[in-house]
Amino acid sequence: MANMAVSRIKREFKEVMRSEEIVQCSIKIELINDSWTELRGEIAGPPDTPYEGGKFVLEIKVPETYPFNPPKVRFITKIWHPNISSVTGAICLDILKDNWAAAMTLRTVLLSLQALLAAAEPDDPQDAVVAYQYKDKYQLFLMTAKHWTNIYAGGPHKFTECDSKIQRLKDMGIDEHDARAVLSKENWDLEKATENLFS
Amino acid sequence: MSASAAYVPSGGFGGTIAAGLSPMMANLNVDEGATAMSRAQPIMMVNPPICRYFQRGICHYGSSCRFSHVLTAGEANNNSGNETEVLNPTTSSTNLKKITTESPNARPSTSRHNWINAPVFVPKSYRPTYPSEEVADISTSEGATSICPMNNEVQKSWADVVGGGNVAQRTNIIEGTDAEAMLEMECPFEGPCPYGAYCAYGIHMELCKMCDQFCLHPSDQTQRRKHNQDCLQQHEQAMEWSFAIARSKDKTCGICFDTIMEKAGREKRFGILPNCNHIFCLECIRKWRQAKQFEHKITRSCPECRVSSDFVCPSAFWVETKEEKDKLLSDYRLALGVKDCKYFKKGDGKCPFGNKCFYKHALPNGDLVDVGCPKRARKLHRGSNDFIDLLDIYLWEFVEQRDYHWLDFLSGTSDDSDDSDFSEE
Repeated sequence: MANMAVSRIKREFKEVMRSEEIVQCSIKIELINDSWTELRGEIAGPPDTPYEGGKFVLEIKVPETYPFNPPKVRFITKIWHPNISSVTGAICLDILKDNWAAAMTLRTVLLSLQALLAAAEPDDPQDAVVAYQYKDKYQLFLMTAKHWTNIYAGGPHKFTECDSKIQRLKDMGIDEHDARAVLSKENWDLEKATENLFS
Repeated sequence: MSASAAYVPSGGFGGTIAAGLSPMMANLNVDEGATAMSRAQPIMMVNPPICRYFQRGICHYGSSCRFSHVLTAGEANNNSGNETEVLNPTTSSTNLKKITTESPNARPSTSRHNWINAPVFVPKSYRPTYPSEEVADISTSEGATSICPMNNEVQKSWADVVGGGNVAQRTNIIEGTDAEAMLEMECPFEGPCPYGAYCAYGIHMELCKMCDQFCLHPSDQTQRRKHNQDCLQQHEQAMEWSFAIARSKDKTCGICFDTIMEKAGREKRFGILPNCNHIFCLECIRKWRQAKQFEHKITRSCPECRVSSDFVCPSAFWVETKEEKDKLLSDYRLALGVKDCKYFKKGDGKCPFGNKCFYKHALPNGDLVDVGCPKRARKLHRGSNDFIDLLDIYLWEFVEQRDYHWLDFLSGTSDDSDDSDFSEE
């Protein structure tokens, strides 16, 4: 029923284009190829969250069995979030897995992801490290998430302290992103991060 | 019966006169004649002034005109004139019909003067003594389009002359039935009878305003009542039908997003969930409910609201109100209840759904059997008190595949329902 998948995506595309969220620039969908099976989504970081001001790009793959199976969605933009892998961008969201319903659409999926950014579920994590930081050192989590949003999603908050620590690791020949990832993981403890990197 | 067939009675005896006239002309003629005839007659007797329109060749009143259609007034009763020309009211002067009479004294027309002296045609007995005289009048009204063969003092109707004067005898010739019988018969014209009061048939059905057809018996009250009832019922059905279409036509399936009424053939069906009011086409909701990749609980629930429903009811139209829905669901169960259960096999098999099965559990001799409550296999789930119903899981898949033609009962459309019949407590 690839036919149904394509015809539905076409309809949904129009729906999203006309929807209010587009006007408010909070979600967006773009086509990547002509087959309608691969799309690129974009969601704005919800206000009053560390993701505010950022634009997060998503990869959406529509299976042939859509809408009886959920679309495969992952974050292309790096993000620091308990339910999203900081490495792969994989998302842990029930509706994208076993709680999918055939009446859901790309729009509802994107809005759900937006809601996920606003309300993390650290008890059902995708990224255990992030989830641990979220639960244990929430202020540090907020800073890290804001820093990642600033670097990867164009968020407004700069943290010079973070930048200088990353620069120190970079000077040691470490890739910038790797440095950031390790520092974030080690709660911005430069010593532990160095240890982690060179052990 | 068609109009031309109904016309036969007049044509049969008035062949020479009517032959040249189209039925339509004759019909129009009679309509006019019927209304104007009776009051026009006395005036015509006392030498009225000559009709100006007649002089010009066109008088739409024809022989029922108040004014004289005899060009030399005063000689109207002259017996010597045997031949005349009268305008066919519906035709122009070029279509003047020149017809010789059949009277013994008739001579072939040789000059225009002869017909001038002819007496004016005065139809006989045009009192609306309906219905006793109408059999005779049908011919005279026909004669009004033609000429009056006046030969003697007594003004004879044209039809009398042609038909030999014996009304009863003439009608026998016409129809092969006697006048009495025709009075009892319904006029075969399906519209307003063109012969009006002069129709040979006694009964003229009246117009039913509801169906816009002439089908109300003028005196038979039971027939009228019954027809009105039938009409009302038909009307209500048509209304219901159009309402059903109206409320269904914009509905889109929540899964494929297509407008269901615009789908082709068998896909143009709604799959109604008993426990919520979300719209799906039958194919989509069935496919969703048969999806194996999700938990049973997920697929059994509505894709929009996640309210669980035990079965899907096929429907040709969307049901809006609770009453409509309840009726649809009960009709569905009734239709299934007529069919033998494929698991019970008339007693040879065992139905896992027990007495909750929608299908019929009857032995070959027709006796219904109560097989009791469905047997349930339950086990503890994850060590908690959370029970799962194995019956739901193992047997459901069989049931979803079942193929029954239940909708044939309901709508006459070919349908096979492969849906389940299991009702939970």
